[in-house]
Amino acid sequence: MIKYFVPKSLKEATEILSQNDCYILAGGTDLMVQKHRSASLLPTFEKDVLFTNEIKELDYIKVDKEGVHVGSVTKYEKMLKSAQIPDIFRKTIEQIASPGIRNMATMAGNIGNASPAGDTLVPLNVFDAYLVLSSTRGERKVLVSDYIIGVRKTIREKDEIIKEIVIPNLDLEFDYEKVGSRKAESISKVSFLGAYKLEGNIIKDFRVAFGSVSIKVVRDKEVEKKYIGLTKEEFINRKEEIVSDYSKLISPITDHRSTKEYRQKVACNLLSRFIDNIK
Amino acid sequence: MIPKYLTSVKKVDNEEKMAGLALFTDDIQVEGAYFAVTLRSEKAHAKILDIKVPTLPKDYYFISAKDIPGENVCNIIVDDWPVFADKETNYIGESIGLVVGPDKEKCLDLLNEFEVTYEELEPVFEMKDSYVHKEFTKGNVDLFKSSAKVFSESFETGYQEQAYLEPQGMLVYFDKDDGRLTVKASMQCPFYIHKAIMRVLNWPEEKIKVIQPAVGGAFGGKEHYPSLMGAQLATAINKIHHPIKMIFDRKEDVPFTTKRHPSKTDISAYLDDKNNLIGLKIHVNIDGGAYIGCSMVVLSRALIAATNTYTFENVEIIGDAYHTNKVPSAAFRGFGSPQSIFAMELFINHLADYLGVDRFVFKNKYHVKTGDVTSTSGIFRDEIVLDKIIEKAKKMSDFDRKFKEYSKPNSNRGIGISTFLHGCGFTGSGESTIINAQLKIKKDKNDIVTFYTSQVDFGQGNRTTLKRIVVDTLGIPEDHVIYDAPDTSKTLSTGPTAASRTIIIVGGLAAKAAQHLKDIWVSGKEQEIVEPYVGPSYIKWDEDKMQGDAYPGYAWGANVVEVSFDPVTYQVKVEHTWSVYDVGHAIDERIVIGQADGGLAQALGWSYLEKEEAVDGRFMQKKFSDYIVPTSMDLPEMETALIDNPFKYGAFGAKGAGELTFVGGAPAFALAFEQAIKKPVHKIPLTPELIMELVKDED
Amino acid sequence: MKINFVLNHKPIELDVNPTRRLLDVLREDLHLTGTKEGCGEGECGACTVLVDDKPYNSCLTPVLNVQDKEVLTIEGFREMKEYRIIADAFADMGGSQCGFCTPGMILVSYALLKNNPHPTDEEIRFALSGNICRCTGYQAIVNAVKVASEKGVKL
Repeated sequence: MIKYFVPKSLKEATEILSQNDCYILAGGTDLMVQKHRSASLLPTFEKDVLFTNEIKELDYIKVDKEGVHVGSVTKYEKMLKSAQIPDIFRKTIEQIASPGIRNMATMAGNIGNASPAGDTLVPLNVFDAYLVLSSTRGERKVLVSDYIIGVRKTIREKDEIIKEIVIPNLDLEFDYEKVGSRKAESISKVSFLGAYKLEGNIIKDFRVAFGSVSIKVVRDKEVEKKYIGLTKEEFINRKEEIVSDYSKLISPITDHRSTKEYRQKVACNLLSRFIDNIK
Repeated sequence: MIPKYLTSVKKVDNEEKMAGLALFTDDIQVEGAYFAVTLRSEKAHAKILDIKVPTLPKDYYFISAKDIPGENVCNIIVDDWPVFADKETNYIGESIGLVVGPDKEKCLDLLNEFEVTYEELEPVFEMKDSYVHKEFTKGNVDLFKSSAKVFSESFETGYQEQAYLEPQGMLVYFDKDDGRLTVKASMQCPFYIHKAIMRVLNWPEEKIKVIQPAVGGAFGGKEHYPSLMGAQLATAINKIHHPIKMIFDRKEDVPFTTKRHPSKTDISAYLDDKNNLIGLKIHVNIDGGAYIGCSMVVLSRALIAATNTYTFENVEIIGDAYHTNKVPSAAFRGFGSPQSIFAMELFINHLADYLGVDRFVFKNKYHVKTGDVTSTSGIFRDEIVLDKIIEKAKKMSDFDRKFKEYSKPNSNRGIGISTFLHGCGFTGSGESTIINAQLKIKKDKNDIVTFYTSQVDFGQGNRTTLKRIVVDTLGIPEDHVIYDAPDTSKTLSTGPTAASRTIIIVGGLAAKAAQHLKDIWVSGKEQEIVEPYVGPSYIKWDEDKMQGDAYPGYAWGANVVEVSFDPVTYQVKVEHTWSVYDVGHAIDERIVIGQADGGLAQALGWSYLEKEEAVDGRFMQKKFSDYIVPTSMDLPEMETALIDNPFKYGAFGAKGAGELTFVGGAPAFALAFEQAIKKPVHKIPLTPELIMELVKDED
Repeated sequence: MKINFVLNHKPIELDVNPTRRLLDVLREDLHLTGTKEGCGEGECGACTVLVDDKPYNSCLTPVLNVQDKEVLTIEGFREMKEYRIIADAFADMGGSQCGFCTPGMILVSYALLKNNPHPTDEEIRFALSGNICRCTGYQAIVNAVKVASEKGVKL
């Protein structure tokens, strides 16, 4: 018999999770599709379900010296309207699904769902954002990039729940592009976020992440390091090498949405254009 | 700019639809109705050796070919589509049987327990086995042999899903009052379903009635498939005598119901040594899928339309519809002509380029004029105002300036114009020999007039316009005329809601019937008129030879599409469209413009977004998250104008408008896109993946 | 599980499985069939209802998620004065053809105008982007929202 839990506080939620193996259901926009069978039938949840809907204490956006803290039940729509959320996140969220879905869905859900096409995962990686996971055993912080280990696979222990996502401050120039099948309601074929900082003529920071071109977001700090510290001219002159480095890192697939050749080529084109546009 | 619709009246079904009061099939409550779910073939081509039916609990049934008292045939045009696959299956998803019972979940659970044993046969997925072949010529095609040069090209178009918002659904029960087997369904053609049920049950007409509830879009997709569902559910209710509802989930509707025919059209232009055009050879190939269904008629229309808005002296036209082990292709707005017109519109531009002459001068030389001989050696009798249409479309879009500007290298922008026509009504003499529409109109003692048709309003607004034709003809108040949705027990057949025939044919019939009633009108007396359709005497058509006047009249149009192109992501954006149509006299401008914009929107989707790919006979795009129809952000501002050109034989001067508006979108889009990338296009949908291949060698 | 919310301005208590789709609760349990199912996966928007004035895809909403919230369906909205303004604008502009997307479109238009009484064309298209219409090509609906915006300053 499947049990349903509707905790009203984080503490209550962690207590439930310490005793029960649950799906954690926030907006439901992923799980309700995955577990849908047919019109008028109940979704086919095969284990217990914990709803986060009533944990009002986790509906927040706060800023401190660590960065922006987004409570895990905060809806995308609230993030879109908040000036505290970095612009690049708002630009990303604005292109996710549709207004209806953004009213229901959460960023924590996007992380928990661990889809290779999860749109917020790309900026979360570039920002080195981390999660605070909570359980009756305490709290731990995990980088989003470490949290997701494969398609729909995370390192969440059964008794843990995402309490919040922390987006560190990052003052860079950004270039985000989502390439989907249409202008709204689309699942990414490729997504790209490039970021850099120029001080004088020196590349002081350089970060790149790709979505939908591997089982998880592709970002490589070793490759980034290689190019940090170059002058702008040196950097731009090594465009082909940079593109080639990333071209080797991504391993897209062919599916019913696109082809591996297209994803590979467009990912490289986007990186190329990003480098061309560095001013 | 907010339009003003001076000629329009309030749509009769507006209020109920906006308020959510209109009852669509799944909204109709029938106490205790059972559910039906379909056991579908897993093989593209196989013998069915055995069906192992699980133990069925009480009140659960398996319905299959064995339960059919009449013939296991779903009559469409040819008798080749079985109601239930019996000994053999010819496509993945073909219905083998239904599981029927009180609990839907239980029905689905039972479905999983069936074991079907197949012996696999060699499937065919490519267009190589022709099951319908047609050919005809105009002029002297022997001259082709003397040509000095031949310019040939080949064009391909893909599947298209109708993507009506309301999925297929049907409800059957026995009416307590008259005992008839009653069908309510999301449909286009009530009498098609009625006939299909008579055939499968071997029942007389009067034991059945088909009633149309609100229908949430159809576009051709509900012309034939509901006949199959009707035959299946009739078989079931005949056995179990209990009301049954079958509503498809989208994930069942997309992969298993009929689609637009994919096509490949080869065109050759024969030229003499001075580059004069001797004539054209056009070969249209369409993928009909597992059963012929209506493919022969789709092919006919594709062939008749193949020369589009051009008159060529010598033409050889060949067509084949092919059997493949895939879901049968069937009706979809345009019915074959979008495929062949796409090819011709691109070809004639490419031919002008090949000859090194100005495209517009070249096309203009061949544009159809009143009195010209059609490709089937009939006559274009209407007053043709193609030059006015083109001029207006160009002016609205500032075409000439933009065309010049976007011709520059690396513009990544383009503008394209297409011209097109659509024959209204059934092909040839079909209206008087096959359809034989009859319309009944009657008046009671209180002078309240009721009339009946079998026309389904699935959004086009014909319930409003047909009523208006009668009201205006009689010159009586609107609320003195009653015109309800079709019920086959009350109406005579005025034919299917298809082929852009509703206003031109049935509208004409309604006007005539109303006029006759007016002529004999005696106030306070019950009166009735049954008006039979009489075709214009000039229509002579030989279907075997494909010779004569194919249609009573043609509607005309031009589309201008402007696009921009992103060379980094290979994505196209439609920036703006401008359209001009001659649909005769538009009785209700708002309704016609609604058809115009909607038709073009679907055509644009077909051009670059809507990809449906069959791999080994299985559709890859199965849901709305994979099959990409345009959203409000994908479509641009559309500007549409009408040219008033009343048609002598149509009701109030009207011709057809429903399908015309689909026909020109793809070529206008493709021509615009060619200009943006400076390369010719031969295939749609122009997905970014295909575009990448097209522009590849430039990188 | 007992679930309480306000439905069309009236409090309601249901004893229902909390994962049951709001869409099924409305259509099957409460016979409010103005909310439609077009795709069952949040793509088409035919199932749109307003939850605390925001569009939700009711096909993806476990009914528990509307606990203590205000749900407005077309059946409730059609009784409000704002409905008349929007419905008339849809009628005038030809915004409804087959009608299957229409209740959802009307609710989304209301949610937009309530927040942003004078939207630009782009804002209108953005707000409608979760609602598929296969009949109109959207132009007539965009026009309708504009007309409603002009007439309904007080929305």
